[in-house]
Amino acid sequence: MKALTRSQLHEIYYYLRLNRRVDEQLTLLYRQGKVVGGVYSGLGQEAISVGTAYALEKQDLIGPVIRNVGAMLIRGYRPRDLFLQYMARQDGPTNGRDANTHFGDVGRGVIAPISMLGETVPLMAGIALAAKLRRERRVALAYVGDGASSTGPFHEGLNFAAVQKLPLLIVAENNGWAYSTPISKQMAVRNMADRAQGYGMPSAIVDGNDVLAVYEATRTAAERARRGGGPALIECKTMRMKGHAEHDDARYVPKKEFEKWQKKDPILRFEKYLTAKKRMTAEEKASIETRIDQEIREDLAFAEASPFPPPEGAARSVWA
Amino acid sequence: MKSMTLAKKSKPSTKPDGETLERMLYYLRLTRESEWRIERVLYPQGKIVGGVYVGRGQEAIGVGAAMAMRAGDVTLPCHRDFSVYVIRGFSLADIFANWLACGDSPTRGRDNTLHIGDVDRGVIPIISPLGATLPVACGVGLVLKQRGRGNVVLTHFGEGTTSVGDVHEAMNLAAVWKLPVIFICNNNQYAFSTPTEKQYAVKSLAARGPANGMPGERVDGTDVVAVYDAVARARELARAGKGPSFLECVTLRMSGHSAHDAAEYVPEKLKRAWAKKDPIQRLEKILLARKILTDQQIRKLNKRVDQEIDAAIAQAEVRPLPRGEEAVEAVYCEASCWWRKPPSAVSGPSSVATGHGPRATDD
Repeated sequence: MKALTRSQLHEIYYYLRLNRRVDEQLTLLYRQGKVVGGVYSGLGQEAISVGTAYALEKQDLIGPVIRNVGAMLIRGYRPRDLFLQYMARQDGPTNGRDANTHFGDVGRGVIAPISMLGETVPLMAGIALAAKLRRERRVALAYVGDGASSTGPFHEGLNFAAVQKLPLLIVAENNGWAYSTPISKQMAVRNMADRAQGYGMPSAIVDGNDVLAVYEATRTAAERARRGGGPALIECKTMRMKGHAEHDDARYVPKKEFEKWQKKDPILRFEKYLTAKKRMTAEEKASIETRIDQEIREDLAFAEASPFPPPEGAARSVWA
Repeated sequence: MKSMTLAKKSKPSTKPDGETLERMLYYLRLTRESEWRIERVLYPQGKIVGGVYVGRGQEAIGVGAAMAMRAGDVTLPCHRDFSVYVIRGFSLADIFANWLACGDSPTRGRDNTLHIGDVDRGVIPIISPLGATLPVACGVGLVLKQRGRGNVVLTHFGEGTTSVGDVHEAMNLAAVWKLPVIFICNNNQYAFSTPTEKQYAVKSLAARGPANGMPGERVDGTDVVAVYDAVARARELARAGKGPSFLECVTLRMSGHSAHDAAEYVPEKLKRAWAKKDPIQRLEKILLARKILTDQQIRKLNKRVDQEIDAAIAQAEVRPLPRGEEAVEAVYCEASCWWRKPPSAVSGPSSVATGHGPRATDD
């Protein structure tokens, strides 16, 4: 695998920081009462969204879930799209009809998140099937959490992909909690990756807070899939650093857990790495921060100034 | 990952005695001949309402499993597990009456084939969308666990069914909650016309066990003693609070998917190879070799089985069909619902626990 160039490393850093800033901004908007509905943060899990999406190619498609904002940004969405969505404005991707991250666009290679978690897996398997039948070098990537891996569709999708040897990557994001259900009450296997042996597909377990490890595992699995090697499950271990959503104070999570994982913060770790390996100077870092500041400022202003959809339009676009 | 099998290669922990082996032969033969009458006599005569699904070649699974049950256990058999219904105490006449859709059949002529159940006999009926019974089995398992009397629940399904989401949800729940469920998969190598290569990509479905955090074992499904032993060992684990197990019992479907399926897609070579492993022939050989039965006694047993079946069919054939006016009754479970019968005085769990039938040595 080709080593990442300096500018690629900076790009990854940019997306990690941008992901977190968008997340923080959404939290602020929520507390200001400007969000319609709930806000589900991906705090602490940015390395998974960014590492996986950055490892894909332009022709690939992703099936993210709500905490994968970083992946959506890499596929071409901008902070303003997220702000417009959460504030249900007319110019958002769903014209104010569906809040938070339920949007997508085949052109950008993003299949809109489905609230019935787990359903994304067979859906992305279908996309992978199309790619295989058309003999394209295309990979489909589905994100699924620890909770969603207990669902029937997860099973059906994995089994189908394995039998049909489809170019499907399943990124199993293990953040330790499904709302208030800890891993110990979710599954009787030690790792989500242990499930892969039941389908006859390879798996990998990576440190989900190490963006380069995530990138490498995804790239390896994607290349194998492109060569016709079939599906793979990549379990990324991480921690959900907030409650299930802003309206959940996560009192059921032992404080020690947060303290332990805080030390493994993915962005701090990557910064340390870049600095130690002399791949990013203080000036380059500052320049990225300035760029992000500006982007967030501009996009926030744009979104806050955007109109709400007219009530008369409510019955439009119900049917395709 | 550490292997979580039920010690595949270890010596069987249960050794059924001569009497038990004889009973097994009786049930195997009864099942084989009954299903023959249904598929090759009654069905061509136009007397069966609906489709016909038999478990030819796979009889050892139902027999071995049901005979390993104890009083208070519950089972969720499938359409190829005829013997389970007999062993759990349904009369042969009632079973035939259900196939013939008689007005007083266990389902009052409304649902045919083996869609029969009775909570008192510990049998939960088949649900046609296969796989749906597994989460139900977990519910039963939860109750049994809470009652704390050491009972277990068995759930039967095929290898095709293992591709259904419900199976995964049930196995996961059973493992996490350590429910006393025994998942019995009849891998008869064809799900209608879908061969196993198109059904799953693992070498053996036993791998589904550890993939869900429970032991998984591959069993010779044509060896009734092996099935009996595997279920008994799984039962002991469950009884001891160690949770569920997954058993893959391998057989070959020696009939079409149903009577209306000629199954030309099954290679002749495969059928010939598995005919040699016929469960009845195998058990007869053991009984003869161990001098538990003589040739003459086996023939006597077969004759007895034939007579029993003759009598049951004769009885069922004269039972009237349901009256047309009754068609809209019992759609909802109202006060008059026939399902709301008083506790059965006919049989309770204790009378069906280990299976009873005339022994070949009886005169």
